[in-house]
Amino acid sequence: MDLLLQYCINGLMLGMMYALVAVGFTLFFGVLDVIVFSHGDTVMIGSFAGLATYWWLHAFYPALALGWVALLVLMAAAVTVAFLGVIVADTMIVPLRKGPALNTLLATMMLGTVLRESIRLFFPDGSNPQTFPALLPGWSWSSGNLTLRFDNLVLFCGGVLIIFLIHMIINRTRLGMAIRAVAQDEEAARIMGVNYRFVVLATFALGSVVAAFAGVMNGLYYSEINFGVGLLLGAIGFSSAVIGGLGNIYGAILGGFIFALLQTLGAVAVPFASAYKDVFAFGAVIVLMAWRPTGLIAELSSQRV
Amino acid sequence: MNPSIFRKSLLVCCFALFLAFSGAGLQPAEAKTTVKVGYIGPLTGGNSSIGLGARNAAELAIMERNKNPGGEYAFELVSLDDECKPNIGVQSATKMAADKSIFGAVTHYCSAVALGTVDVYHRFGLPVIIYGAVHPDITYAHNYPEVLRIIGTLINQNQVASKFMLSQGYKRFAVIHDTTDYGKSHKEFFTKYITEGGAKVLAEFGVTADQQDFTVELTKIKSLNPEVIWFAGLYPQGVRIRAQMEKLGINAQFQGVSGLKSDAFITGIGPELAEGCLSFLEGSPLEKLPKGEEFMKAYTARDFKNAPDAMAPFSYVAMSQIMDAVEKVGPDRKKIAQTLRAIKGEDTLIGKVSYDDHGQNSEPYVSKYVVQDGKWLVWEDSEYASGKRNLKK
Amino acid sequence: MNRVAVFFSGLPGCILPALLLLAWSSFFLTAEDQISVFLSLISLAACVIVAVRMRWGNVLRDSIAAHERLWDACLIAIMLALLVLFREDHYSLFLLGTIMAYATAVMGLNVQLGYAGVLNFSCASFFGVGGYTAAMLMAGTGLPPLLTLPLGGAIAALTGCVLLLPVLRTSGHYAALVTMAFALLFRVFLDVSEWFGGPQGIPVAPLTIAGLDFSRGISWGDTEFSFYLKYDLLLLLVLCLAYSLTRRLERSWIGLALDAVRSDEVASACFGINIQRWKITAFTLGNFLSGLAGALYAMMLAYISPANFTFADSLLFLSILLLGGIGNIQGVLVATVLVVIIPEKFQVIQEYRYLIYSALVLLMIVFRPVGLLPRKPRVYTGNPA
Repeated sequence: MDLLLQYCINGLMLGMMYALVAVGFTLFFGVLDVIVFSHGDTVMIGSFAGLATYWWLHAFYPALALGWVALLVLMAAAVTVAFLGVIVADTMIVPLRKGPALNTLLATMMLGTVLRESIRLFFPDGSNPQTFPALLPGWSWSSGNLTLRFDNLVLFCGGVLIIFLIHMIINRTRLGMAIRAVAQDEEAARIMGVNYRFVVLATFALGSVVAAFAGVMNGLYYSEINFGVGLLLGAIGFSSAVIGGLGNIYGAILGGFIFALLQTLGAVAVPFASAYKDVFAFGAVIVLMAWRPTGLIAELSSQRV
Repeated sequence: MNPSIFRKSLLVCCFALFLAFSGAGLQPAEAKTTVKVGYIGPLTGGNSSIGLGARNAAELAIMERNKNPGGEYAFELVSLDDECKPNIGVQSATKMAADKSIFGAVTHYCSAVALGTVDVYHRFGLPVIIYGAVHPDITYAHNYPEVLRIIGTLINQNQVASKFMLSQGYKRFAVIHDTTDYGKSHKEFFTKYITEGGAKVLAEFGVTADQQDFTVELTKIKSLNPEVIWFAGLYPQGVRIRAQMEKLGINAQFQGVSGLKSDAFITGIGPELAEGCLSFLEGSPLEKLPKGEEFMKAYTARDFKNAPDAMAPFSYVAMSQIMDAVEKVGPDRKKIAQTLRAIKGEDTLIGKVSYDDHGQNSEPYVSKYVVQDGKWLVWEDSEYASGKRNLKK
Repeated sequence: MNRVAVFFSGLPGCILPALLLLAWSSFFLTAEDQISVFLSLISLAACVIVAVRMRWGNVLRDSIAAHERLWDACLIAIMLALLVLFREDHYSLFLLGTIMAYATAVMGLNVQLGYAGVLNFSCASFFGVGGYTAAMLMAGTGLPPLLTLPLGGAIAALTGCVLLLPVLRTSGHYAALVTMAFALLFRVFLDVSEWFGGPQGIPVAPLTIAGLDFSRGISWGDTEFSFYLKYDLLLLLVLCLAYSLTRRLERSWIGLALDAVRSDEVASACFGINIQRWKITAFTLGNFLSGLAGALYAMMLAYISPANFTFADSLLFLSILLLGGIGNIQGVLVATVLVVIIPEKFQVIQEYRYLIYSALVLLMIVFRPVGLLPRKPRVYTGNPA
């Protein structure tokens, strides 16, 4: 029983991370109808920005309380990544969207490689795994096979809070209304006086901030970061967003948890071959797509002829 | 037909040919006595820290040799990257072996790569000394006269490791291995030796090289409550597994194989979590070697960008042996291979070296390492051996 | 015009540029030191710029269009000349072989994406299915080796059938996901399966046709020929077949139907074109070509591992197609040469090669999204052009 509970907790943490990445994918798809595949590497940049900030703080303000350090690390990661997201959107994604969708997809995949390689080559000792500092108190409580950790709880609650904040921004603010308007019909939104460029850039900033949080969460959860996590994380985030139904935030969150469930299930249910869990998860994604070709929560669309 | 097109095409043709030949003219003339020797190892990717250190050591050996006024030949290093991937390795090996101006090479840290490339070296007849790959089949699956190996095989390593673990009183092991031949064959020999010694293997898990999350495997392992988690693979995954053990509150001893013994493991995980982790590696550590300090001084004097790491001495010695052979019999691949094979009981930086009838260095010595205060120490010198600190039980 | 006249009118437009290309590529392939590599690239760029400035591009293109047969013959002649020129140089021959295998695989991708508009992010996986089929069949069965080549293609096409349902039902980004998931799945599957050799990979037995062992060199009098030469000749044959097949396909009514499906599914359905049938045909044919190329490539390589067939390699194939100009198979040839050779020649940038390569493709997509040689729209003038 406690074993099962431990699996659930692991799966929930994993699912939260995937969901946060998937939210970015789906937000960008909503406003621009593009897939920004480098989003997984944006997450990785977020964790490295956090690490660099920690090193800097540690070198110059060693006396700072851990709580402040954690907050500053998170803020620095968020600002760096939001900045990156805005620049990428303004210089690459918006100009490219006039061409075929394939071009954007391929261009952002290449951008992902550029980001990944830059970290590997230019971050000090970037080709090796790096220790991510424990910024949260490591209190834990165990019973039998179950270990509950305070830092995991904080991370999970933080994730829930972020999702709640996004929900509020999208549904309760003027910016959110503009984002929804652009997502529904770009031209009509422009005619109604929505500042299109601003909305697009704000959406990218928003999605990137979520990615930064996912990156720092990734670092804190695993205590270790490396330059290569972005590719698979991006692929999983994209899969999650698509299974849920592109353009739908709740779909993306659902998709993230479903993917984590599939992976955990694959490893637990097939005990002799836990290495096959990713084969199982991606196979399930293919089957899901055959069953629901536009995701579980499909976008409402009609085809104009 | 249009004469103007004809004239224009001719013009371009001349222009291009002019450029081509002006480029050709710039190729430098080669000195008569220069002999090329090769190095192949992981220069990029996750294992580059080891590969770059070994490359630098080979370069160091060549620099020292060239500075020496004696000797007939000047040596030049050609280094290629295998990225620790068999396919890239085979390509690089083909490129090097097919280049007839190269007369010997020091190659490969990753067993997966070496297993694929030995056939290539044999086909083209390039003598190589393998400096870091430990899979037994690299030398014992065939009898290629061109292939030699200076490092011991993982059979010796696992004999020493299992004997040591049993002597420490450990009985219950959980095994994680990567699915490469390196990990699988480590698993094969280690489980064989410890079960023969009366210990039990509670579970075995195969993992892929880029797996990030090990919580599922570790949760299962936790419920089996082993005394030791043994990991056969390279250090990038070692870092992740050790970190996630801590997150799940697993309090077992962590033991690795030669692939874990890298300084990057400790920087990746931090000194607190690395404390007490075990690893086993062929050869003695530099500071134990009679000429080790000298080597270290020479290495640091050269301002290489990377630390020597674990495999540098092997690569250094292998390169020196190849150059010795060239000096002795001249640039002739066949004769060089024969000369290398004949080496028996040579005193080198890493101790005595003798090659057996399969080209395997038959005087291997395996050292036991433990992390103490953020450094890999030889077991005998550590506070763990003297009883001041204890391994986890 | 009689044949002689055709030949002479083709002289300036085809044969001279072809000779030029031969001179340049032989020099480029032999260039060892970085200065000559740079110089030869700069000279190529200079030629291209001069040609564009003087508007010779159109002249060349018209000449190619008018003398297509001759131009094709020139290309084959160039390739043969290069093979003879480098008869002893294993590595250059290996590179030429790689180029031809990749080009054949991209022809397959071109049928899928360029003609029918079916997205495929797992081209390298089907390439790999072909390779692994060859390896397993040669090791485990007594089948004649020559038969393993088409079987490699056939099994790749069969594997593709697993994806047919989701590929047909989805479109756009959803379809991209299906093939992407397959590419990732394929890689992990190979990595963990014992049967296929795991991450280690497996050796592939050399091809033998009628007692002719492809893994041995040929000596003819005093000259030695590298063993790669045999593979290169076979690959050239396969490439020519694939090229003429796709060329004919494009010009036939099937090509027209495929173009219609790509440009507007609804409209073409209204005209009675069976969309599903043509998508299946294109997808399967494309996978067959990729698998065939993969089988031959695996034999030439003699050793394959999952790392040959990753998602990143699928992206490489896609970027070749995009670089060349989607739908234009001549563009594919040019782009393959550039993508395969340039990183090989820049050993100086060893560590930075992925960075530079991806940055270049990125810039290319942003500044010239149509590729180097974009496909021309069909023209109906009465003359088959």
